[in-house]
Amino acid sequence: MRKHLLALGVAAVLSPSLLAQKIGVINTMSGAEAPIGENITNGIKLAEEDLKKKGFNLHLVWEDDTGKPQISMSAMEKLATRDNVTGVVGPYTSACSNAVAKLAEKYKVPLLIPAAAKEEITRLGLKHVFRMNAPADKYASSLIDAALSLGKPKSIAFVYENTDFGTSTSKTAKDYAARKGLQVLGDVAYPKGSADYRSSLAQIKSKNPDLVFMVSYVADAILLMRQSKEVGLQPQAFLGAGAGFTTTEFAREKAISEGVISCTQWTDDVNWPGAKDFGARYKAKFGKEPTYHAACAYASMVIMAETARNAGGDRAKTRDGLKSGKWNGIMGEVQFADYDGFNNQNNHTMLVQQIIAGNYETILPAPFATKKPVFPFPKWK
Amino acid sequence: MANPVLKPVAGILVLGALFALPRFVDSPYALHMMILLFMSISQGQSWNILGGYAGQHSVGHAAYFGVGAYTTMMLMHAQQVAPWLGAWAGVGMVAVVALAIGSICFRLRGPYFVLASIAVAEILRLSAINLTGLTNGAEGILATDLPPFKIGATVITDFSTKVPFYHAGLALALATITITYGVQHSKLGYFLQAIREDQDAAHSLGIPISRYKNIALVLSAALTSLAGSFYGVYVGFVDPPTVLGLDVSVQIMLICIIGGMGTLWGPVLGSLVLVPLSEALRSNLITEALVKAGVVNADSRTGLFLKENLSHAHVLLYGVLVVLVILFMPDGLMGFFRKLASRRQREAV
Amino acid sequence: MAVFMQSFLSGILIGGVYALIGIGLTLIFGVMRIINFGHGDILMVGMYLTYVLFTWLHIDPFVSVLITFPLMFLFGGFLQKVFINRVLHAVAQNQILLTIGLGLVMSNTAMLIFTSDYKILTTSYSSSTLQVGGGVTVSTPLLISFAITAAVTAALYWFLLKTDTGQAIRATAQDREAAQLMGINVKRMSILAFGLGSALAGTAGALISPTYYIFPQVGGGFTLKAFVITVLGGMGSVVGATLGGILIGITESLSAVYISSGWKDVVVFVLFLLVLLFRPSGLMGKSRT
Repeated sequence: MRKHLLALGVAAVLSPSLLAQKIGVINTMSGAEAPIGENITNGIKLAEEDLKKKGFNLHLVWEDDTGKPQISMSAMEKLATRDNVTGVVGPYTSACSNAVAKLAEKYKVPLLIPAAAKEEITRLGLKHVFRMNAPADKYASSLIDAALSLGKPKSIAFVYENTDFGTSTSKTAKDYAARKGLQVLGDVAYPKGSADYRSSLAQIKSKNPDLVFMVSYVADAILLMRQSKEVGLQPQAFLGAGAGFTTTEFAREKAISEGVISCTQWTDDVNWPGAKDFGARYKAKFGKEPTYHAACAYASMVIMAETARNAGGDRAKTRDGLKSGKWNGIMGEVQFADYDGFNNQNNHTMLVQQIIAGNYETILPAPFATKKPVFPFPKWK
Repeated sequence: MANPVLKPVAGILVLGALFALPRFVDSPYALHMMILLFMSISQGQSWNILGGYAGQHSVGHAAYFGVGAYTTMMLMHAQQVAPWLGAWAGVGMVAVVALAIGSICFRLRGPYFVLASIAVAEILRLSAINLTGLTNGAEGILATDLPPFKIGATVITDFSTKVPFYHAGLALALATITITYGVQHSKLGYFLQAIREDQDAAHSLGIPISRYKNIALVLSAALTSLAGSFYGVYVGFVDPPTVLGLDVSVQIMLICIIGGMGTLWGPVLGSLVLVPLSEALRSNLITEALVKAGVVNADSRTGLFLKENLSHAHVLLYGVLVVLVILFMPDGLMGFFRKLASRRQREAV
Repeated sequence: MAVFMQSFLSGILIGGVYALIGIGLTLIFGVMRIINFGHGDILMVGMYLTYVLFTWLHIDPFVSVLITFPLMFLFGGFLQKVFINRVLHAVAQNQILLTIGLGLVMSNTAMLIFTSDYKILTTSYSSSTLQVGGGVTVSTPLLISFAITAAVTAALYWFLLKTDTGQAIRATAQDREAAQLMGINVKRMSILAFGLGSALAGTAGALISPTYYIFPQVGGGFTLKAFVITVLGGMGSVVGATLGGILIGITESLSAVYISSGWKDVVVFVLFLLVLLFRPSGLMGKSRT
């Protein structure tokens, strides 16, 4: 009898479908960064549901890092040494990801970062740290390339939030613009959450740049565009980087958002397998449109869970599985590659989109385009 | 503790146990929590010198924490200065900053002092964001490669485990406690408490108020700076909101007020309560414990509700706790225990 | 020149709303000598109230002030009666922490109810503008909110100067002990003052809702701004807070152009420290010795 049970136990350990996949989640669920973190939570919840339907015995351990690196570290210590998870998905912010990445390396826990933008994270040569989303430099290059392909702009002005995301994105953008021969006419770093940008925008207007490149992670994007209209800022194109320019709330503000070009990691109208379906189910479940964070988090969790299951819950094998694997899902083709000084970085294609008739339409790259771009930016009414 | 021998013996035993703890506990998570505890004690104790003893309630201690952290990290990142040397440069920087702040804030009293201390810390935070050439701005400084700590040619530690951080943290906490003890039992301590109780009376007694306030400030700031340097090196990353933000200042002050201000063991007690409590609330250990104890079924409606909401609501519970402590234990835990003890004594008589 | 005029004008208009927040705080401080660190969170409650009224009952945010004001007054009175009155004689740092704690409770309760999403309140006029001439424009909703601010402030002056209750509040603010000796019910005045202060913060929340956005942690930044305005104008001085608010609005707006928008808050804080040092009673306050 005893032997029998033992044999049964061994069988359970060996059979991957019966074995629980214990995976940690570190995310920002409270504090100032929580609004974006919420999308990641939802994306992972949907992934959990789908994986369980597929027969996964998934056990998630949730940790809130409140957006603070030291607390993110506490979470990672706990997951790695107390909960003995196979892998971790998260954290959300770049600051936390930075702090957690080196712990992942130390404990040899595979870490899949879904949506942090800071380039350095996957440039440190860490073997156990993987990233799903395209880092900050891609925003700059894809948006500026798009503008250059649409017309002949000669000058550009930058307006960006003085946060980690804002400064690092605009830094690479300024370099890139200079390389492409664009003259930089304005450089405004604003504190996130200000109520009034009119004076800075009026100043930019007085210099009359061909392009205005804005970085806003949050609802500031709506304020920036409202106030651009107010002061009559009229460039050939508004280029918006960051999540603030890719929300449905933004698109719904037709009076100010029509014609704005933005770039994103993901949309639900792209022809990546399952993207549309994910969008619809997400909306049904959470009552709002998914952001790219949600999609990144969903894909990250699916990949981590599948890899962990194939590896039988072994950390080293899971790491190898992530490194050698190739997937095709709602984020398109995913592969954690080494290129341009990055390692374990998914060389993700950024989608450039424009709001046309109140909807986000993908305009570049060509294979994903759904509408012809509108250029130059229509005159304010 | 009536026996005069018992106290030091017990103290030495506790110290020995704390020092030897990493030999018996190999869970890095537990050590990490201990390190956070030590850091919290040092922060609280540093604030205590200025806030508790001298009665100057700074809500801007993030300034010293952040400047210390930044100086050490900047030196380590750009100049490859070992952090145990850089931390002293941090102390020097902070002393200068503190004297400058003192010259502004000590002219003010009560609420004006509080607001000025916040303003100065905010100015430093905003400067750290804007002086991108110096501080790398909002992107922060990432520096994780610690040089091995050597004495002569012998490598003492290469920081590959948490143990050296544990011992450094323990040393820092003990140092702040010892210094506070020294302050409490010195002329300085008496003068500071006289200033706290009645500044005008202290002045008329001939106590050079401004000098002693500044001494308390520099001492408090220097120790806070060491805690900041320790934080930076341990976490390996600093950016403006995490080391210079207003909530850092509030957290530092909270440790003392929950524990009991102006008492030697208040900040220790405050840390012993706050650090484990906020971790338990955050990572939902409470629900886990309830499930394990069989009080709630994990898959029952209550269990799911707790799992879902308690981790979201942990800051809310924290806020409720703060409100309750202020309303019902205005002198912190130390004051509460003292009151209990004296009541028991009275009842015994 | 157009840039200067544009900045100056929008500074004044934004300053009007700042003034309202500052007046609320200065009333509370004047009467109770308590620095309310939860002031921004009270403003946040006002914003969510406006949001709920707008999305569920389709009440225009500017009209909803009529509902927000009394509700927030009751809310503030409740906070005062249940919590703040208990620490009136406690040490300053306990008062501060109590208001911080209450603020945390408010913002995190809002997070549980509304999630931490950014809520945008889109009205038909949210993005509409008026041409002033010379290439200078103003935002229509901002102009309306400035007008309402002016009306509310005027009504408040009248209340404080002309009614018995108003005079009693002012007397309490001037000298608590003397007011008590004169037979003024100081505790009641405190409840009134906190109620009024909260109502004003809530109103400010309602007024900026159409041009701003709402999320649970929105209050923090406004709390700091309110402190600056209050000190600038002289703690307890309503006229001072009005001027202080507008002054801060203009300073922010101009320094964003002529210094840099990253440093504009530093300019404000430096101004604040200078006032504290060289004119601690504020621009309009009477010096207290």
